[in-house]
Amino acid sequence: MSRLARRLHVVIGKGGVGKTTVSAALGLQLSRAGRRVLVAEVRVQQIPRLLGAEGRGYEIVRIADRLEAISLDPKEAMREYALMRLHSKLLVRSLLENRVVTAFLGFIPSLPELVMLGKLLHCVRTGEWDTVIFDAPATGHGLTFLGVPQALRDAVPPGALRSEADWMQEILVDSTATAVELVTLPEELAVNETLELAEKAGQGLGLPLGRVLLNRHVPLRFSDEELKRLEVGIASEKLAAASRAAREHEIRARRSRHFEERLRSSLSLPLVTLPMLHPERAFGRAEIEALAERIEAAS
Amino acid sequence: MSALSSRLFEREVIVCVGAGGVGKTTVAATVALQAALSGKRAIVLTIDPARRLANALGLAELGNQATRVELPDAPGELWAMMLDLKRSWDEFITRTVSTEHRDAILRNRFYQTLSSSLAGSQEYIATEKLYELHSSGRWEVLVLDTPPTQNALDFLDAPRRILDFLGNKPLRRLLAPALVAGRFGLRLFQMGGKAILEGLSRLTGIETLEELARFLVEIQPTYDAFKERAAKVRELLASDRAAFLLVTTAHGTPVEEAISFHRMLVEAKTNVAAVIANRVHVDHLGELSLPSPEELADELLREGVPDSGQPALSERLARTLREMRALASLDARNLERLAASVHPTPQVRVPRFPADVYDLAALRMVADHLFSRS
Ligand SMILES: Nc1ncnc2c1ncn2[C@@H]1O[C@H](COP(=O)(O)OP(=O)(O)O)[C@@H](O)[C@H]1O
Ligand SMILES: Nc1ncnc2c1ncn2[C@@H]1O[C@H](COP(=O)(O)OP(=O)(O)O)[C@@H](O)[C@H]1O
Ligand SMILES: [Mg+2]
Ligand SMILES: [Mg+2]
Repeated sequence: MSRLARRLHVVIGKGGVGKTTVSAALGLQLSRAGRRVLVAEVRVQQIPRLLGAEGRGYEIVRIADRLEAISLDPKEAMREYALMRLHSKLLVRSLLENRVVTAFLGFIPSLPELVMLGKLLHCVRTGEWDTVIFDAPATGHGLTFLGVPQALRDAVPPGALRSEADWMQEILVDSTATAVELVTLPEELAVNETLELAEKAGQGLGLPLGRVLLNRHVPLRFSDEELKRLEVGIASEKLAAASRAAREHEIRARRSRHFEERLRSSLSLPLVTLPMLHPERAFGRAEIEALAERIEAAS
Repeated sequence: MSALSSRLFEREVIVCVGAGGVGKTTVAATVALQAALSGKRAIVLTIDPARRLANALGLAELGNQATRVELPDAPGELWAMMLDLKRSWDEFITRTVSTEHRDAILRNRFYQTLSSSLAGSQEYIATEKLYELHSSGRWEVLVLDTPPTQNALDFLDAPRRILDFLGNKPLRRLLAPALVAGRFGLRLFQMGGKAILEGLSRLTGIETLEELARFLVEIQPTYDAFKERAAKVRELLASDRAAFLLVTTAHGTPVEEAISFHRMLVEAKTNVAAVIANRVHVDHLGELSLPSPEELADELLREGVPDSGQPALSERLARTLREMRALASLDARNLERLAASVHPTPQVRVPRFPADVYDLAALRMVADHLFSRS
């Protein structure tokens, strides 16, 4: 467990692969293992709802023992950043309510990402939590996020923004503090993107990589021989439907295995498979619990 | 369940919109393929095709190049183009900005924001490219695959945001005189918004302010050209020469997004030809009840198939059917909500195939579900 628990886990991947789901499960698992955990998401508030709690604006939401969630918002983060710089609520308010100023700030490359990342890493620094989990935006935007400090260091002369970038980068590249968790699916597109992502985050941005989490993994269940026997001359309607379902299941299962092997051989990172689940109602707390247990068992 | 008819191809421009990963690229390619099969000269502008689909369409690494896809049995023509958004921006600037300003703009950091990370910039340039190709008259049907957006609504918002960016009058008024007067840093603090500018420079540094001022001044002469062009693009997309296909999956979040996006499209008076629910889980049992392992064991016995293995085959089959039904009924519930919300826009369903869709044969399979055979 401790080998895999860092102060910051960045959960990243293509849209829809299960980043939010994995962030919630990881949060649950680590909090149960005794760590004080904060899960952070950007602009939305899905984590509390997934775990059966209610989100409240930009305040920190308590979800369970030692488990809290926060939603990062660019405006709110900007306000906090400005307050830190200017030390005057009055000045900050008059600045940020000014149309010209907001327009101007809106044009600065990646400023929203910088202030939100700043807020996130501030949470890592305070020591109020042992672990912060970041449910990052989808691939491209997620990389932009993580690349902001480096981009600023390259582009901006020493000064206010530059010193922000410096301390942030220090945490991000520290392999004892940070782990980038790559969430993916047993699909061509998702796996290719994961390999690119690993390259860009690892070699490109110098971030320490954690695990690969292969989500919606389908286990092998039927042998070729069984499928063949079920194929020929089945009269029963139900058995015919079962035969079709079994064949489709097995195509998916073999693709799961194929992509699992491909990920293992292309990336020398620990790989955790998370099973495809089939909730009767909506995907919710029970499913997150099952995935948390799976992560715990693999840790 | 309804299906699309080839009357769709009376439209010259078909735009596929929706959340990321739902199948926009797949649907866009399929629609263009079907247009070619029904005798049209068609082109699909894709943004981020899976590598194997790109290969199947004969798309090389080279962006912004129209490539003919060989279809021996098609009376029409299928073309494909992979959009390189950054290059499209550069080309657009080169076309619209006078030579004296061009290089300075292309180098400016704020142009980098505009052309890559500014919300809406990809959507803007994709529709701009569509407009350009449409104006060329080379194709009868143009299908646009839109970039994956965080928020599906970014797509409609894009031109406004870009024009806001370029035409921000108060900001320009505040910064331009200082720049024109030279000695930017000194002058800045003698102007009206002193406190504001001082505060700003403490947030971001004075260099950033200077660079923005320069950019706004340089882009000024072309602002009107931008505006005119954006108006034309919007006009085309709102006209009856264009149709939108809203693509979603049957998952909860994409369905919610599709519902709100549909409302926005309708409010914007665009023509939504159909909502396409892609990758829908089907229940092969149909109306039949879910069999127990015992029931399946009996049937296996009757069919002479050994019920062997650990756990027994009958048990594994029953489990597989149960899982299939759970997925299908969850999808069905979500799609009912979708259908009720987008009524009377037709809803078309495409099943989830067991493997990815990455070649022409698979696209034809998708086409069989999207289009009615009549
Ligand atoms: N292991 C799984 N089995 C079944 N469904 C899953 C699984 N993981 C995620 N999902 C579903 O997939 C969808 C996308 O997951 P989500 O975590 O929101 O992805 P992301 O945050 O990457 O966009 C959700 O509807 C979620 O319930
Ligand atoms: N009906 C379907 N059944 C199975 N896989 C599909 C289906 N439609 C699309 N896919 C696969 O889903 C992935 C995402 O599709 P894509 O069209 O690239 O989505 P988008 O353009 O919206 O991001 C691709 O790997 C594609 O092959
Ligand atoms: Mg998410
Ligand atoms: Mg796409």
